[in-house]
Amino acid sequence: MSVHITTLDDRVRLRQDDSSPLSTQEYFVNMGPQHPSTHGVLRLVLKLDGETVREVIPVLGYIHRGIEKMGEHQSYRQFVHLSDRLDYLSALINNWAVSMTIEKAANIELNDRIQVIRTLMAELQRIQSHQLWWGVFGMDLGAFTPFLYGFRDREIIADIFEETVGARLTMNYIQPGGLMYDIHPGFVKRVKAFLQYFKPKLAEYETLLSGNVILQERLRGVGRMDGQTALSIGATGPVLRASGVPLDLRKSEAYGSYGKVAFDVVIGKNGDCWDRYWVRLEEMRQSMKIVEQLIDNIPEGKHMVMKPAVKIKLPEGCYYNQVETARGILGVYIVSDGKESPYRIHLRTPNFNNLWAITETAANWRLGDLVAILSSLDVVVPDIDR
Amino acid sequence: MGIITEKLPCYIEPIPGGSLLLTSMDAVINWSRANSLWPLTFGTSCCAIEMMMATGAPRHDTSRFGAEVARPSPRQADLLVIAGTIVRRMAPRLKTLYEQMGEPRYVMATGSCAISGGPFMYNSYSTIRGADEIIPVDVYVPGCPPRAEAFFYGLLTLQKLIKEGESVRRPGERRKPVLSALPPGITLDQIRAEMAAVLKSDATVNVEQAAKKLEKESQDGQCESADGCCCSRT
Repeated sequence: MSVHITTLDDRVRLRQDDSSPLSTQEYFVNMGPQHPSTHGVLRLVLKLDGETVREVIPVLGYIHRGIEKMGEHQSYRQFVHLSDRLDYLSALINNWAVSMTIEKAANIELNDRIQVIRTLMAELQRIQSHQLWWGVFGMDLGAFTPFLYGFRDREIIADIFEETVGARLTMNYIQPGGLMYDIHPGFVKRVKAFLQYFKPKLAEYETLLSGNVILQERLRGVGRMDGQTALSIGATGPVLRASGVPLDLRKSEAYGSYGKVAFDVVIGKNGDCWDRYWVRLEEMRQSMKIVEQLIDNIPEGKHMVMKPAVKIKLPEGCYYNQVETARGILGVYIVSDGKESPYRIHLRTPNFNNLWAITETAANWRLGDLVAILSSLDVVVPDIDR
Repeated sequence: MGIITEKLPCYIEPIPGGSLLLTSMDAVINWSRANSLWPLTFGTSCCAIEMMMATGAPRHDTSRFGAEVARPSPRQADLLVIAGTIVRRMAPRLKTLYEQMGEPRYVMATGSCAISGGPFMYNSYSTIRGADEIIPVDVYVPGCPPRAEAFFYGLLTLQKLIKEGESVRRPGERRKPVLSALPPGITLDQIRAEMAAVLKSDATVNVEQAAKKLEKESQDGQCESADGCCCSRT
C-alpha cells in the first residue's frame, strides 16, 4: 500500500475548472515573510477566490535557529537563556518551564519565597504580554491609539523587571534551583503602584476599543472555532479557552503558588475573534488578582537553594513538564543520558499548535478578516520555528 | 519631521522683505537625508519588540529625530533596521529587501544576532553569523536586545555618518561601518581580532603546548599570530 503525502507543491497546484463561463479562477498570494501584520517572518500562502480566502497554508522556517539542537551542546543551566528567545514576550515563564523540568528531574525542593516570586513574575509577564498583544491587535485592525496605550503601560512593567532582573526582554532570571537575584527592595512598592495605576487603565482599554462598533463588527462571529476542533489541533491558552474548554494548567496542575490563590479560568462561548479578545482582557484582570493576593505576603527565605556553581546532572531517563505561558502550554521534554548536557531536548511550544487554528478558521473569510483572525491568535514566530 | 538635532550649516543674509540663506548643496542634502530617515518595518525576533518600543512607543519616540514614518514597503524606506536573527532561509529575502530599497539606503544591525550571530553563534546549523555577511551594514548597535536608548544612539550615529558622508561630487560613497556603543576610533576589525585572540587563547588548553609556545616566543622574540590574521573575515 502506498501512502501519498501531500506536499506544498501539490497543494499550491491550481485546479483547472472552466466548465462554466461564470466560474471564477482561484489564485495564490504570498503573505509574508516580510509583512507588517504577520508579526515577524511568518509566511502564509493564501489561496484566494477574488477577495475570499479559500485556504491558508503556513510556511515556516524563516527564523528557525535550531534551539533544540543547540540545547544538546549546552549544560542545563545554559539552556535557560535560550528559552528566553523562544517566545520572548513570556521569557520568564519559559525560564520557569525549563527550570521546573530540571528541578523535578533532579529532585530539587524549593522554598516558598522562590515559588511566590516566580508566580508574581510570571503573572506580571502575562499582563505585559497581553498589553503588547492588545496594542498590536488594535493596530492590525486599523486603530493606532491602542498601540500607544499598550506600549505606555508595558514600559512600567519593563521598569519593574529591569530593577530586579536587569533586563527588559530576555530575562534569564528563573534558574534551576531558584532565582538569579533576590527581588529589589522597591519591588513590592512598585508592583503595588502599578496595580493601582493599571486597574483604571484596563477599564479605559475597554471603553477605548472594546465598545467600538467597527471592532465589534470585525470580530463578532469571525473565525469561529469550536472546542472540539481546538482540542484536536492542540491549541492551548487563550485560543483554546475562548472556544469554551476550561483547560488552564495554573488551575489543573497548580504549580508554583497557584494553588494558594483564588482566580477564575476565563472561558469564552463561541470561539470567535471577539471571545479570544475578551478572554485575554479578562486574563489581565485575573492576573492582577493573583498578583494582589501574593504581593503582600512574600515569605522570607533564600532566593537560591543550591549553589550556582554546582553542575547539574540529571539521572538517565526522560522528563516532561509543562507550564501555562501567556499563549498556552509550553512543554519541555528532556532525554538525559546522565551527562552534563541533555541527550535531546524537545519543546512543545504553544504557538506552533495555535497557528494551525488559522487553517481551520480562516477559510471562506475575507482577506481583511484573515488579519483579524491571525492577530487574535497572537502568534510569536520564533516560538513556532524555534 | 521632528526636532532637528543639528542646525544646518548656513549663512543668513537679511535682505529687504525677508532673508537669504546661503549653504552648500552637500550640506542641505545630507542634512535633510539625516533628518528624514524612513525605517522599514522589518523585524525577525526579540529585537523587533525593543525596536517597536523605541520607534512607536510613547516614552521613546523616534519622531524626535525625524524617523517615525515606518514603511512596510522597502520601496518607500531608506533605513533597514535588521532587528533579530537572520537564518539561512531568510538571508535571500533580506538581500531582496535591501536591493528593493532605493538609494541612498542605510542599514543598522541591532542586537548581537544581527552583528555576529549572538547567542546562536555556536552550535547552530542555520544561523547567519552576522547580517554583514549578506548586506553591507552602516551602524552596529550591540545589545541582546539593545535598549531603546542604545537604538537611538545608533540612529544618531547614523545621522552623523550621513552628514559627514557622501557628497554631490562623490555619489554613493560608502562610509566605514561603525559600532555605535564604543569609543570612536576603534574599528570592527580590531574588535574581531581581539575576540578571535580571546577565543584562540581559550581553545589552547594543552599546558605542554602552551609552555613550548612560550619558550619559542621567548626565542623568536615575538608572537606569530600578533597580526591577528586568523580572524579576518574576507
